[in-house]
Amino acid sequence: MASGSGDSAGGRGESTEVNSKWLDAHYDPMANIHTFSACLALADLHGDGEYKLVVGDLGPNGRQPRLKVLKGPSVLTESPLPALPSAAAAFLMEPHEPRTPALALASGPCVYVYKNLRPYFKFSLPPLPPNPLEQDLWNQAKEDRIDPLTLKEMLEGIREKAEVPLSSQSLRFLHLELGEMEAFVAQHKTQPIRRQTVITTMTILKKNLADEDAVSCLVLGTENRELLVLDPEAFTVLTKMNLPSVPVFLEASGQFDVEFWLTAACRDGNIYILRRDCKRPKYCIELSAQPVGLVRIHKTLVVGSTQDMLHSFTHKGKKLWTVPMPAPILTMSLLEQRSRGLQAVMAGLANGEMRIYRDKALLNIIRTPDAVTSLCFGRYGREDNTLIMTTRGGGLVIKILKRTAVFGEGAGEAGPPPAQALRLNVPRKTRLYVDQTLREREAGTAMHRAFQMDLYLLRLRAARAYVQALESSLNPVSATLREPLKLHAVVQGLGPTFKLTLHLQNTSAVRPAMGLLVSCLYNESLYALPRAFFKVPMLVPGLSYPLETFVECLSDKGISDVIKVLVLREGQSAPLLSAHINMPVSEGLVAA
Amino acid sequence: MAEEKAPTTTQFPGTIEPQKPRLKKEDGLAEKEPHLGPLQDVKGNAAGARPDQFVGAVRASIEEAILHSTAAESSTLDQLMITTYREEPFSYLELGKRHMTSRQADNRDLATQSNFQHIYLAPEFPILEKQNWLIHLHYIRKDYAACKALIKEQLQETQGLCEYAIYVQALMYRLEGNIQESLELFQSCAVLNPQNADNLKQVARSLFLLGKHKAAIEVYNEAAKLNQKDWEICHNLGVCYMYLKHFNKAKDQLHSALQLNRHDLTYIMLGKIHLLEGELEKAIDIYKKAVEFSPENTELLTTLGLLYLQLGIYQKAFEHLGNALTFDPTNYKAILAAGSMMQTHGDFDVALTKYRVMAYSVPESPPLWNNIGMCFFGKKKYVAAISCLKRANYLAPFDWKILYNLGLVHLTMQQYASAFHFLSAAINFQPKMGELYMLLAIALTNLDDSENASRAYAEAVALDQSNPLVNLNYAVLLYNQGEKKKALAQYQEMEKKVTLLKGSSSLDFDPEMVEMAQKMGAALQVGEALVWTKPVKDLKSRHRTTSANKSSNLQQPLGSNQALGQAMSSAAGFGKTTQLPAGAGGASQFSKPPSLPLEPEADPAEAISSEVQEQRETQKSSLAPE
Repeated sequence: MASGSGDSAGGRGESTEVNSKWLDAHYDPMANIHTFSACLALADLHGDGEYKLVVGDLGPNGRQPRLKVLKGPSVLTESPLPALPSAAAAFLMEPHEPRTPALALASGPCVYVYKNLRPYFKFSLPPLPPNPLEQDLWNQAKEDRIDPLTLKEMLEGIREKAEVPLSSQSLRFLHLELGEMEAFVAQHKTQPIRRQTVITTMTILKKNLADEDAVSCLVLGTENRELLVLDPEAFTVLTKMNLPSVPVFLEASGQFDVEFWLTAACRDGNIYILRRDCKRPKYCIELSAQPVGLVRIHKTLVVGSTQDMLHSFTHKGKKLWTVPMPAPILTMSLLEQRSRGLQAVMAGLANGEMRIYRDKALLNIIRTPDAVTSLCFGRYGREDNTLIMTTRGGGLVIKILKRTAVFGEGAGEAGPPPAQALRLNVPRKTRLYVDQTLREREAGTAMHRAFQMDLYLLRLRAARAYVQALESSLNPVSATLREPLKLHAVVQGLGPTFKLTLHLQNTSAVRPAMGLLVSCLYNESLYALPRAFFKVPMLVPGLSYPLETFVECLSDKGISDVIKVLVLREGQSAPLLSAHINMPVSEGLVAA
Repeated sequence: MAEEKAPTTTQFPGTIEPQKPRLKKEDGLAEKEPHLGPLQDVKGNAAGARPDQFVGAVRASIEEAILHSTAAESSTLDQLMITTYREEPFSYLELGKRHMTSRQADNRDLATQSNFQHIYLAPEFPILEKQNWLIHLHYIRKDYAACKALIKEQLQETQGLCEYAIYVQALMYRLEGNIQESLELFQSCAVLNPQNADNLKQVARSLFLLGKHKAAIEVYNEAAKLNQKDWEICHNLGVCYMYLKHFNKAKDQLHSALQLNRHDLTYIMLGKIHLLEGELEKAIDIYKKAVEFSPENTELLTTLGLLYLQLGIYQKAFEHLGNALTFDPTNYKAILAAGSMMQTHGDFDVALTKYRVMAYSVPESPPLWNNIGMCFFGKKKYVAAISCLKRANYLAPFDWKILYNLGLVHLTMQQYASAFHFLSAAINFQPKMGELYMLLAIALTNLDDSENASRAYAEAVALDQSNPLVNLNYAVLLYNQGEKKKALAQYQEMEKKVTLLKGSSSLDFDPEMVEMAQKMGAALQVGEALVWTKPVKDLKSRHRTTSANKSSNLQQPLGSNQALGQAMSSAAGFGKTTQLPAGAGGASQFSKPPSLPLEPEADPAEAISSEVQEQRETQKSSLAPE
């Protein structure tokens, strides 16, 4: 209804209240759901045509992992989980009727499979083969044929070189202090060496039919850089593939028995594409940033990177396009509207936007009250096109796509940026400025001459004053080469008594200065100095000597005067250097 | 089943290994307490463990149980665990008990005083990588607070053995700028796992960021031993060598990086090295390849555009800059460069609209305000031009180009005294440019200081290599002072420069200048120089109405030596005649088709430099008639 006019009125694809393409079905800011897109799944768990939402919830602060099943806006069941869930998926286990999908929840090293919401089976990753050398060493330890120190050295050696990493037991042993080793060995030597890994990601792959409700295999990505495909009925490992890095996001297409592609975005910032019958990745896409989401649409891959970009690649790894995002991407997911054959990418951004892109074109922006951290689109309840979002604060947003809504292309950002329409902020000029300009134009030459004249006069006066200062040693840095001295004075206090500190420094490179005197000249009716004339100790080159004296202000009229400090050489009347100290007004007496 | 019963409760919490008979009683107790059931399993299982598939499975779940037994909801959890695996062939209680039995024996010989505590601690080490995936997820979502909390927890649990947690912590330190700390953490990662090239790479990267390029190279070489075919190592080695100025090695590394995998960044670095070596053409080749590889990278497009601009290939430059702007209409560099090109062509309004975008995003850019100012200058809005230029000057008080333009605008406004100040300031910053002295001389001429003017001209002529205007203006001054011979010498000098310029490039000359030179030639009774004939025609046809007006203005009084003399005297005393400011600088504004030899300069300054030079030229030409 509203969608047709909505496009024109809604402008840049934003959803305003009135002409949005979405119906606000439910919003609960306190739903207390903390999860991410991989742990959301929509499934008809009871086979009654009513789709439920399965949430592997990390709990607040990731401390209370729970499995929640939502029906409509409310939680249907809730059960605690032994460990944090890393992925959830609904899949069909067997081709027989009734075709109710099973629910798989990956957590730690296991996959928990539920049927009809009842625990059904638990699959654990097969333990990794231990390092034979390590095994051997611990066997020796068990028979007390090796002392802890040697054991440590040998293990150290294995760690340096070996292909197979050490077990956590050995690693911990290597970190022990000398004293603790013996006890540790005694305690643990009987234990077998085990290495266990965990599941980092999981997805589903059709077994042999491309149908919507065909039997699917689970594909697991593990921390030890492997991809495992599990048989849906027997839960045996059908095939195992190696990756150069740990998979973070996984996408699968095709059928296991025919031909399939697995796309894994890994922690090294690369995306590897694997095909049936190859144990190693066939193509590699280097992103030069970490991927934050991976979505496959037909044969193209859309990847969000930490550089706030959406990149698109073909399934052979050729770069197609790049779209910059206004904020960091938090999560990505696929939007598939079957009735209209639409497949688009949804990206939740840190600025509280949820953007929908088809190829490069921005179709829609949904603004949410909080940053969206997980997304899911599909059939929920009995409604086909439902969008489920959870927010950073644990809120739950459910929106339904209006049946009449059509995403028009070109609704996205096109044309010049809005800033282009703004006026330039050019500073205004005043009337005075214009008058001055006119005056300059009329009498420019005269102004120039007057200015030049004054400039010369100024320079002349400056030069004269400088020469005079040099002649009468009025400057605080002595000019004579024989006695290079520097003086600066500090006055402290509020009055009537001040402390006058003279910092005298001999700036010559090597020669110490001796036989210097300091004399203060002042108005005796205003100030009294206990010592107005004193000797200066020998000045070692480079050091600054503070010479302190007290000054008492005698006047209570709030007037101040200049005290002249002269530095003299013994037997010479001309001062080496001098300083004029402007005394502050004595506040003590004035206040009193 | 007999063996099953006996040992079940051996590990009742807190009890010291009891004797068998007592155990049975304990057994009953344990059953009553729902809490303890699974715990026993845990212990037993962990202790026993057989290389049996199911054992593995159970063990894993048990491990979880241990981890969570401390948690408050452990009782519910246990229930779940049990119910969940009911359908497995072995019941798990049973299994636990079995292992318990085998374990029992060991236990007893092992230590007489072995109590529960011991056994409880001994069995399981948490899987070190247990939460790596979550750490990573928080990290890539830039949720650093959550990530740090998790890392802290994880490191406590594993006693600092979790390599990946340390790794991510170090990455975050680096993002926060604590490079030294990150380096130390990466080094400890490398100790935990010396086989991992990533750790070494990050150590090297931190060293690189600390400016220790040599050390970084060493570590990268170490990493390269572990992982031969890594684009990143080659690339970063190349960058390190670049900063150490070993350009050949750097190029080798970057080329090998490109062979491994093509990345925009490598192309950019390679191009930079070529630019540092002054090989503009090679740099362009590299950037061309890069643009081919990723046609939407605005940085590449802009850089390539600017390089073409430097070479004077305007068509291509504009094409690439335009492309950059289509992909990113707010690209700072591209706007500035494209805008300055538009200004060159006189499209001031278009340039201004582009600048508006920039003025919004980068309001404190001196080059931007300089260019805006010169746009207004081109549109003859001199007051606005001065305002903008003064703002630019305020933002960058030591930029001689802005001062130059300010001098220029003030000359046009006949504010010669102000112009003098700006120009002399510019000369203080840039004492090696003939044109600046020439402008100063013009200001001085107008301030009736011909003595200093001719000194300035002399300096200008001495410094300038190729600009005929300097000589022409000098000739005019000398002529006005009645020194015909010297004027003639300058005139000939100018002709030489003109022929040289014509020979070397397809430069067009400003018609005003040409006209002025012709008059000058006539005045000096040198035969009508053939040099001019062709370009004049070219230009006339190309010129727009404004400049046509202008030239017709000038044509009126001329025709004889006398008239020329008049024109010159009026030029000298321009201030007296109350002519509109539009006269001098404005008209010629529209002239310059491609004629600017660009200085090879780095970064956004390029745009400004082109801009300034343009204005320079216009002013020069505008000065000729005076």
